[in-house]
Amino acid sequence: MRSTYKMLAAGALIALTAASPALAGDPIRRIDILTRPQAVNPPEFQSAQLVAQEWRKLGLDVNVRAIPWEQITDVVWYNRETWDTGSWQMVGRPERSDPDEFIHNLFHSSTVEKGYNFIGYVNPEYDAVADAQRIEIDPEKRRELIFEAQEILARDEPNMMLAHSTVVLAYDKTVWDPASVVDQSGIGIRNTWTFNNITPLGDQKDIIVNSGTNLNMINPLRQSGAVDSWVVELLYDRLARVGPDGLPQPWAAESYEWVDDTTINVKLRSGMMWHDGVPLTAEDVKFTYDAAVSGEAPMYQPFASNVESIEIVDDTTLVFKLKQPSASFITSSFAKLNITPKHIWEPILEDLKTKPENAESYQEEMPVGSGPFKYVRWLSNEEVVLEAVPTHFQPPKAERFILRIVPNVEATLGMLRSGEINFLGDYPGDPQVLIDMAAEDGDLEIAQTIEMGFKYIAFNLRRAPFNDPAFRKALSRSVNRKLIVNAAYKGFAEESNSVISPALDYWRKPGLSDGFETGTDYAAKLLEDAGYELIDGRLHYPGDIKETITE
Amino acid sequence: MSFLKPASARLLQLVFVLWAVVTILFFMFRLMPGNPMAAYIDPTFTVEQQEILMAQFGLDKPLWEQYFIYLGNLLQGELGDSFRYREPVAGRILSLLPNTLVLTFSSLIVAYAFGILAGAYLAWRRGSAVENIAIPLVLTTRAMPEFWLGMVLLAVFSFWLGWFPAGGTRGAGASYDSYFALYTSTEFLTHLALPALTLAIYSQGLPLLLMRSNMLDVMKDDFVTMARIKGLSNWTVIVRHAARNALLPVMTSFAIAVGYQLQGNVVVESVFSWPGLGRELVNAVSGSDYPLAQGAFLAIAVVVIAMNLVADLLYAFLDPRISHA
Repeated sequence: MRSTYKMLAAGALIALTAASPALAGDPIRRIDILTRPQAVNPPEFQSAQLVAQEWRKLGLDVNVRAIPWEQITDVVWYNRETWDTGSWQMVGRPERSDPDEFIHNLFHSSTVEKGYNFIGYVNPEYDAVADAQRIEIDPEKRRELIFEAQEILARDEPNMMLAHSTVVLAYDKTVWDPASVVDQSGIGIRNTWTFNNITPLGDQKDIIVNSGTNLNMINPLRQSGAVDSWVVELLYDRLARVGPDGLPQPWAAESYEWVDDTTINVKLRSGMMWHDGVPLTAEDVKFTYDAAVSGEAPMYQPFASNVESIEIVDDTTLVFKLKQPSASFITSSFAKLNITPKHIWEPILEDLKTKPENAESYQEEMPVGSGPFKYVRWLSNEEVVLEAVPTHFQPPKAERFILRIVPNVEATLGMLRSGEINFLGDYPGDPQVLIDMAAEDGDLEIAQTIEMGFKYIAFNLRRAPFNDPAFRKALSRSVNRKLIVNAAYKGFAEESNSVISPALDYWRKPGLSDGFETGTDYAAKLLEDAGYELIDGRLHYPGDIKETITE
Repeated sequence: MSFLKPASARLLQLVFVLWAVVTILFFMFRLMPGNPMAAYIDPTFTVEQQEILMAQFGLDKPLWEQYFIYLGNLLQGELGDSFRYREPVAGRILSLLPNTLVLTFSSLIVAYAFGILAGAYLAWRRGSAVENIAIPLVLTTRAMPEFWLGMVLLAVFSFWLGWFPAGGTRGAGASYDSYFALYTSTEFLTHLALPALTLAIYSQGLPLLLMRSNMLDVMKDDFVTMARIKGLSNWTVIVRHAARNALLPVMTSFAIAVGYQLQGNVVVESVFSWPGLGRELVNAVSGSDYPLAQGAFLAIAVVVIAMNLVADLLYAFLDPRISHA
């Protein structure tokens, strides 16, 4: 008996040594790509399939796992140790015109554990640059730092950047003067500048816009959802607004001026009024910033916590003192906080202090703002109606802003043609269908804008082999981005290799795509150079690395 | 009095069924993959915010404790606050329920009126060419998915012919003082037409086929033969004698159909942008808004259970031969 075992063992040993060279590691486990199902997001699903197909050519066993968004976030965000790769996206928003949010929050090591750095990217060199750009007030010097951050990211490839998609929207050009529609860089034509400026050509003076999703709340102290912000931005003023060029400009403030690194003088426009007729003063501005850090509005706290003090000089003059210099302050704070009426919210906040709820769960019967439009009514899951304020310092040319909730994408297109809506504010469908329809209709004008946001494959850097930059680079370089753009996005996208979109011309490091070589051969060479081995068509870890993760 | 005792036993049963529904709903949503925090994920979402939210939603407590808190609140008529809208679930459901009920009842009334008449007619014309065409047609409409039927009606009557609007309960920006003013307006009726028609086409098969087979049974009964022997006209025999008796099971099926219809509403409300409970249900489930999802399902369960009870009682009342004793 014993001799039989010995023989077996010896035979196995011989077989092993014969099959693999001396120092081969374990075969790499099956890799999952999490993605939303095809029906929910066709281009994302297609991208994941294409990426999987290219990775398989490198000898990897790849599985595309299509699950709902809610489940992806549950895994990626709340079970950070448990996933390999996943499709993810960042969407464009006006305040993201400042590079800080993407450069800092997505990759800084302080957000690894519970924040947005869910990929687990830790690089002290990067941290230093990301921190430095935050406090660099000089735009030229800051730009150098932002370039440097992009360079490090391009080298490390913690994410596999795929594409910046094209936002394709439309409106009825027989109703609205095309010259009055504003295309905001990285955002598209659905923005506050357009709604303020859009000029009726005939009797239809109501802007009727669609949204596929419901409104959650209309609350100046809570960021409650993308569609909610369309309404809140029109109802409330902010000291500054991000302009069509992506740079902040004075809005409710007539002017603001940096006195030194941590002091800003603010001059408000005179004669501003709340929609209930009460004058808007410096008191309201100070109240807004106090409310944000009062503990009753946690979502806005990060944007006001750098304020040391606010001194009211007179009704329209304030001095902001910051705790430390902040380069993005105008965009991330002045252009972010909704000036909130003290006479209405002060008693509400007082009352909430004694309750477990905070201001984020408070819905006013009749929201009172100071913006170019005022609140008329909100019918749950059906529509929101706002009315132009002719006495506003930038009075809208339209009479009303009506937001219709239309969950059926195909019906949205029909409504646009029939006039039930006259401005397409949200369209998740196939852009080519919309363009073809507009060409057939003749009354519709299409607007295409490269998005500030981006789509990517996130790698979980906590787990081997994704902790190896060479492995990540090889995986990234195995996929020609033109394939993604043309096959998955049908040409309605641009190749991406930086978290700073081409829409943000000032901040985007030029030449990042130079020498971005891709292809299976190139990727296989990278893997070979890094010591990975292909045995019987299956990719193995370099050296004697063992697989430590079981499925 | 013999009627009351079984009724009280039924009520006890109802309480048990409701408790079971509540319990299953509670655990089902919490065991489903997904996380109510998903809606808040943002680069500026801080750890403190996550903790505050978890505490506000009561999700920081153990599951069993959450369950007893929920049951306790429910006994006091409290359904809790929606995670997403941060407002009481009960108020939200009550504001959407009228739209759903109007759609449900208007479509069912049309479906049953048509189904009963056509069913009686087809029973009378048994074996004719009309029947050979009509029955397969009815079975086809019964098999058509509602969303597909809805899209076809939209394409034809709204986008092609332009007779009806494509979504909502009213024109953009139209204002009404009350639900009554809205529901009695022409504008509302034109908005109601297509979704109600979709549901009506989908639901007329059941009353039609039921009415037809009941009629065929009844027409074999002695009292119908008797009526014919008496020399009564065809019309009198069919309408006054046969149809009245065949109608009983159809009427009770109406009550049960209300429950089924609510589930059909989920799809049709999304196709026609109808602001009702069905759409809210989909949003609540996909967004892991546990209190709202539980509340909406509970509201539907209550309607279904109540209508079943009504059907049972109605049956016993209309047909004394059936007894609960």
